[in-house]
Amino acid sequence: MESVLIEPFRDEGVRNGALAAMAVGLLCGTIGCFVVIRGVAMFADSLAHGILPGVAVAILVWSGAEGPPELGLLGFGLTSGLITATATALLLRSGRFRSDTATAVVFVAMLALGVAIFSGAGDDSIELEEALFGDVLDVSGGDLALIAALCGATLVPLAFLYRPFTLAAFNRARATSLGVAVGRVELGMMMLLAVTIVIGFQVFGALLVMGLTIAPPATASLLVSRMPAMIAVSSAIAAVSGPLGLLVSWHLDVAAGASIVLVAVAIFVAVLLLRPSRA
Amino acid sequence: MRGLTVTYGSTLALEDISLDAPAGASIAVLGPNGAGKSTLLQSIAGLVEVPRGAVTRDGNRGVAYLPQSLAVEPSFPATVADIVEMGRWGDLGPLRRLGPEDRERVRQAIEEMGLAGVAERRIGEVSGGERRRALLAQVIAQDAALILLDEPFTDIDRPTADSARALIRRWAAEGRTVMVATHDLERAATEYDLVLALNRRLVAFGPPSEVCTEECLRETFSGHVVRLGESLFDTAHHHHGAS
Repeated sequence: MESVLIEPFRDEGVRNGALAAMAVGLLCGTIGCFVVIRGVAMFADSLAHGILPGVAVAILVWSGAEGPPELGLLGFGLTSGLITATATALLLRSGRFRSDTATAVVFVAMLALGVAIFSGAGDDSIELEEALFGDVLDVSGGDLALIAALCGATLVPLAFLYRPFTLAAFNRARATSLGVAVGRVELGMMMLLAVTIVIGFQVFGALLVMGLTIAPPATASLLVSRMPAMIAVSSAIAAVSGPLGLLVSWHLDVAAGASIVLVAVAIFVAVLLLRPSRA
Repeated sequence: MRGLTVTYGSTLALEDISLDAPAGASIAVLGPNGAGKSTLLQSIAGLVEVPRGAVTRDGNRGVAYLPQSLAVEPSFPATVADIVEMGRWGDLGPLRRLGPEDRERVRQAIEEMGLAGVAERRIGEVSGGERRRALLAQVIAQDAALILLDEPFTDIDRPTADSARALIRRWAAEGRTVMVATHDLERAATEYDLVLALNRRLVAFGPPSEVCTEECLRETFSGHVVRLGESLFDTAHHHHGAS
């Protein structure tokens, strides 16, 4: 039994991947609580697709063997995310679409644009697949340190947004009346979400990073009634999903990123079925 | 408040409203649907842009606006006590912890609104009346000098309405200014220090005895006022005013 649990982690790639997945999981599981209480899971998913064109451009710009530097990825990814958010906001402001329509139109546009730019970069299939689904087992020691540092650095401004954003998610009018600049707080949270996606996409890919951002908070909201507890439970679930998923991936020989997200979803389903309804 | 004008697109929501709301007064903001009652309160609270005119306040103890709709997702992760505690967050800022005085104020607000029994339940799972009282308790905890309540008596149970009325009287007695949007003519005439009759523009503002005249109310409600016995009823909304 012990060897079943330990053996995979004797491999340095698996070990680095597990630690990177835990760091990203902590961040995703935390920021995901804010996404879920504000009811913007669909928009978050759109943002995850929205960073793709930026990432593709970064890969084009730094087309050498080393690939784009972290700050380059962050810069281009964030810009791309901001364009996604701005385009969605402009469509919404026109008042001619429902919000899910506006969100979906922008997200398919950004996804298609991303794929087009990747295909223009030549050797497209490998890099596109990596951008969409990540490569958990290709995290070097240096990458791991950088990813962990970025995750920690993102949690700091998130702490400052905890109260104002929770107030705004509860009731925008009350939040304003309690001194919260709602628009600025929501913009700040959106930027932190975009940063989270850019950090997480290197491990899980743009599509799978959303799995760890939405499933753990959804699970936590079934178990606890208060925001601090929700964040604790959600980030813990997201963090343990990494190593658990890698074990599954190792023994069943299935893709690592997908296994991690499937573990997070399996925890959600198990809680949903076992936990008696609160009502 | 000087020359306040608010527009939505090409629609004039409020036109050239000027008034002085004194401290320590309860003010009923009276008018039919679409008269701009909510817009007036939201303009004072800084929630809508005011293209012309200005709202000035003495001191900086803050404004507490309570919207009419308090809809919340059943899964929102906060208990009734958490919601009341949020009233202190404005003063505490993003990180400072609640001190003993803050906790005492929260405890008293919960007590006063009769919420002790439901304090640990999720805000999305309590009744509409309890949710309204939780938000009123949040406003108590906020400790603002100017309190703006938008239709606080809509769709609530009797005990909640009674405690809201007692609270409005207490706030005014403490020297706060309380403005309450309502279309309850009868109560406006008997329970408030001042009445502001609104129909896109300011029809009248003063003590109920001066404002609640048949002629003035006819102008406010555009003719939908009939005299029944001793009291005036607004026919468009009399079902809200019944008591």
